[in-house]
Amino acid sequence: MNDYPEAVAKIADDYLRRVKAQLQLVPVREQDEFLREIQSHIHEAYQQTAGDDVTRILAVLRNLGEPAEVVADRLPGAMVRSGAKRNLPLYVLAGITIALFGIPLGFGGVGVLVGLLLALMGVVFAYYMLTASFLLVGAVFMSLGLVRVILPEVWDKLIMLGFIRFDGPVEVVNHLSPTGQAFVMIVIASAFAASGLGLLRLGKYLLCGLRFLLSLIFDWTRRFAQSVRRRLHRDRSHGVPVGQMSFGKR
Amino acid sequence: MQYSDEDRDRRVTQLRKGILELAVMGVLYNERHYGYSLVRALTESGSISLKEGTIYPILARLDRDGLVRSEWVESDQGPPRKYYALTLSGRQLFDELSKELDLLISMVQQRGKGSEQPAYGGKKLAVRKA
Repeated sequence: MNDYPEAVAKIADDYLRRVKAQLQLVPVREQDEFLREIQSHIHEAYQQTAGDDVTRILAVLRNLGEPAEVVADRLPGAMVRSGAKRNLPLYVLAGITIALFGIPLGFGGVGVLVGLLLALMGVVFAYYMLTASFLLVGAVFMSLGLVRVILPEVWDKLIMLGFIRFDGPVEVVNHLSPTGQAFVMIVIASAFAASGLGLLRLGKYLLCGLRFLLSLIFDWTRRFAQSVRRRLHRDRSHGVPVGQMSFGKR
Repeated sequence: MQYSDEDRDRRVTQLRKGILELAVMGVLYNERHYGYSLVRALTESGSISLKEGTIYPILARLDRDGLVRSEWVESDQGPPRKYYALTLSGRQLFDELSKELDLLISMVQQRGKGSEQPAYGGKKLAVRKA
């Protein structure tokens, strides 16, 4: 029987509440079992301790230690055991809440967020398409320059078929020697290739920036999910009063 | 360079913490105990002093690792008690850890033979099978 003076019961209940507060992330069944165990310990220790009532209970709790010390190692184990399955309904609920209400950004805010993400992805895609086209143009000009010098008959055939034409502002190339034409094309090829490689190198900064933005968004989402989860846990823990564990009063 | 008393105490505490889990397993080796009786068994001999609450994280860890099993037993004197006993794998692990500890102790004692006086004259740390 738990038959304590009122003051002792209050002190012990307060201690159990503090222990329970440390066990917020532990499944309710494990919380209850652990609190029963601590309650049993307090009872045993109280019976064995000499002195007046309040002095005895205070000595017992002092020997037991701070609630944080007593519950250490409970959390990781409980979280491992509870696993993803237990959290899944919580995440689904959080997802539905976000989808329905878009808290705290509002539905429009979520739309803006998604739009921003898509726009950023579009910028990155366009950037790398431009880089690829620079490298492709460089490769084509380099090939043509080499063909002009090494395979002049293939060059003539390409001219005849109309694949290569020097009209307009580049007509001046027609007046150059074959070696001169090859040189011009290799210079142009080198310029495009260098630009393409430069863009490719700069792209990593773009990716870093994008990754940073994504991590910010991810972090925000994670914090939001955590706050929802904490709120739900708080609601649930209020549903199981510590009073069920409480010491009887004389 | 001389070490301070604070430094010595900190290291002694670390040493005791490290060995406490083994001591708990030792007490549970032959006899089942509930939390409070386990604390009494550990502290009665005066070999180990501890905050009573620190026993529960250790029991939780041992339970999680399947080294102890537990059951609730009704008590005439108050609330039900949760009894712990070492499992078969817990016993096997204790035997192995004891051997390791013996090796360490003998190594430490061999090193200590050369010195005139032990560096620390505090309480002995005893691991026993209850």
